[in-house]
Amino acid sequence: MKLLTHIFASARKNTLLITALTLMSCTSVAMAQSVQVRLIDANGEPIKDAVIELFSEDNAEVVSVKYHEAKIDQIDKEFVPGVTIIVAGGSVSFPNGDDILHHVYSFSTAKTFDTPLYGRDDNNQYRETFDKPGVVEIGCNIHDWMLAYIYVGESDKMAISNAQGIAAIAELPAGEYRLKIWHARLSDSEGYVQTITVGENSLTELTVELQLARDRRIRRAPSSNRRRYR
Amino acid sequence: MNWLPRNITFRSFRSRLIVFLLALLIPVLGGIFYYVNQNNTDYTEETINTYLGLGADVFDYTRQQQAMTLKAITNSLTWDFGFRTAYAANDPATLFDAALNVLDRSQDIVDMLMIVDMDNEVVIDTETQGFEVLDNAWLHLVEEANESEEGQSDMIMIINGLPFQVIALPLYLPRQVAWIIGGFALDEEFVNQVKETTVSDVSIVKIEGNEVEVIVSTLPEHQQELLSSQANFGEAGASSLQRMNYDDGDYTTLLRSLYGESGDALQVFAVFQRSYDENIENVVQFRGLLIRFYLLVLIVSLLTVLLLARSITNPLSRLVDVVKKIEEGDYGRSVTVSSKDEIGELADSVNSMAKGLAEKEKVRDLLGKVVSHQIAEQLLNNPVELGGEERTATILFSDIRGFTSYCENLPPKQVLEALNSVLTTISDIVEKHQGVVDKYNGDAVMALFGVPIKGDNDASNAMAAALDIVNALEKADSELSACVGINTGLMVAGNLGSSNRMNYSVIGDTVNLAARLEGLTRFYEVSNIVGEMSKDAAPEYIYRELDEVCVAGKTLSVRIYELIGKKSTVSVEKKADIEQFENALQLYRSKNWDKAETLFTQLQIKCDNAHLCQIFIDRIARYKKIPPAEDWQGVFVFDAK
Repeated sequence: MKLLTHIFASARKNTLLITALTLMSCTSVAMAQSVQVRLIDANGEPIKDAVIELFSEDNAEVVSVKYHEAKIDQIDKEFVPGVTIIVAGGSVSFPNGDDILHHVYSFSTAKTFDTPLYGRDDNNQYRETFDKPGVVEIGCNIHDWMLAYIYVGESDKMAISNAQGIAAIAELPAGEYRLKIWHARLSDSEGYVQTITVGENSLTELTVELQLARDRRIRRAPSSNRRRYR
Repeated sequence: MNWLPRNITFRSFRSRLIVFLLALLIPVLGGIFYYVNQNNTDYTEETINTYLGLGADVFDYTRQQQAMTLKAITNSLTWDFGFRTAYAANDPATLFDAALNVLDRSQDIVDMLMIVDMDNEVVIDTETQGFEVLDNAWLHLVEEANESEEGQSDMIMIINGLPFQVIALPLYLPRQVAWIIGGFALDEEFVNQVKETTVSDVSIVKIEGNEVEVIVSTLPEHQQELLSSQANFGEAGASSLQRMNYDDGDYTTLLRSLYGESGDALQVFAVFQRSYDENIENVVQFRGLLIRFYLLVLIVSLLTVLLLARSITNPLSRLVDVVKKIEEGDYGRSVTVSSKDEIGELADSVNSMAKGLAEKEKVRDLLGKVVSHQIAEQLLNNPVELGGEERTATILFSDIRGFTSYCENLPPKQVLEALNSVLTTISDIVEKHQGVVDKYNGDAVMALFGVPIKGDNDASNAMAAALDIVNALEKADSELSACVGINTGLMVAGNLGSSNRMNYSVIGDTVNLAARLEGLTRFYEVSNIVGEMSKDAAPEYIYRELDEVCVAGKTLSVRIYELIGKKSTVSVEKKADIEQFENALQLYRSKNWDKAETLFTQLQIKCDNAHLCQIFIDRIARYKKIPPAEDWQGVFVFDAK
């Protein structure tokens, strides 16, 4: 049995059109509930690298089982991946896959740090722990265009949208949740917040249209692909 | 020269040439001058305008170059990790110091720095303008940067009364967290730098409401005031070139709007100026040169014309002199002109004309000597051809009585001299009385009165001439006396002779009779005999009727008279004698022989011509013996010539 629910809600500033579609499947297996959010922009295109996080109102005590460790590689003068999620208290390593030195820094309030310059395999043991939930923007002072985001969540109930714009969280207890959506270009710096109800044995499907700011990134220096330096 | 006003007349060829030259040269030179000057002026103006345009371009270029440097410096700043750290530290005092440090290090490229967060709140401002949140133009600057692809924008802003070229750049940490606004002042140094490159004066003018303020300028102070009072910053003025008058001459002015639009409360203009006079200096110099050259051309032309005129008028005036002399009758002059042109030809012609005239005059003179002056004129002025016309005229024949015996013992040459002397006297008298000497025949003279030119008193003139001739000869020599015959009537006057050789003369009975009458003077022993028609034609004279005769070869009789003198000069006694003689003649004609004889005899005693009376006394004696025919009326017939 499938139950389709259409939810229309108007968000702040009346700019967001939310279509929530809840599809409930009738199964009796506990923890079989999951949420799948499809994110599209104003043109209907899927939004990649957005982070969704669910906050449980009634379950204050959350035991995080996933996202305690992460790795942000530095390959060809780019951070890979661009968006990383970890749960608060988790740590991230920053191995250098390039033949040149890199530098990692952050001035974000969630975590301010910076590393000395290091080379390939130079820093493999180095890990940075992120205790405070929030978004940490990391950069490299040598390569200005290098930019990566570390989303530090309160629990492990979070996911990153894929190329189809779909982010899914499975194995959820049924109940009421606050859905928070973050994206680097989201006009609303607070992020998008909505309350959803996750029914028993059901897949709650939502389609959220987000208003994104224009993508202004620092361009890669044209000379950055040169191998010779003398 | 019909195009010249009618009241202009030239007194000399020279002035005509000069006027012609000036009339030709001045418009041509003037036209060239106008064209060249205009072109030069236009070119100079164009050059000035181009230079001003260039000045404005250099101004913009310099501004852009500095803006690029400013951008580079500011941009580098945003990547400075220390600066990033300072910004992240959220300590404005530290940031402010860091910014001041940048200003110091920028070598005067960066004059101000301002950092504004993403909520448009001012974090630091090295110019300490005092506002906390961006507004108006500043907001516009940031919004423009935000909307641009590069995240950058630039603008002219007025900061603390000075125009600044400002740029806005994002500060990435590594995401954008703020705007860094850098600027440099368009100050004295900047305008001087532009002036050095463009050699144009540069000013930056601010217009706030109606108040015009020169912010910076390369102009001296008093000219800055003139600029703000004279420049037209209206809509039309801003786009066009303006001419302004300063104390040291005209300035061409180009305006370029830097900030604000027409109607805005605040507008900033860049003003570029070049001294018009300085730029026109070359034109003025060239103009002076051109004028001097024209003066030279004019002077040379005038001199040439004068020389030319001289070369024409000099020989011409010499010719005029000679022609005037010729007019006066002096044919002896000739003129020498060396040139081979028309004037030379004219001079040659005048010379040969003078020669021809001289020859003609010689002929005329000779003719006048050979024939009478009037006949000579008649011959010269009319076609000489045979034939004549019928005219009424008076003929005078004069002869010299006693000349033959006078000559008897004299050598021929002396005779000729004496004869010429007498004939000259007679000729002069004839001519004096408008008579014409027709011919000389020995000591005899034939004179015409009334031909070839008819006079008013031809007969009277002949009478006067006759009296004068008689008197003149009486005075000249006691041995000589003149006898004159005068007759008036129709005759043919004209050229007589052959087609090769001819005489102007008169023929006819009247002429013959005159000759006869002259011959009869010896018979009647009178000094003259006048025909009846002559007597009637000159009634102001006193005549004595001599006789009525029928001369040889004629059938008609004529009454003949002796000219006594002018009525006023003849004495009463003489008049009485004449009357008595006429009475006696009357008696004689009426065949009253005795009484007539008595009267003639009485007259013979007292009268001056006893011989005359004796003639009639003798005739009466004859008629008494042989009475005349019944129809005789007193006519005496001369048988022989």
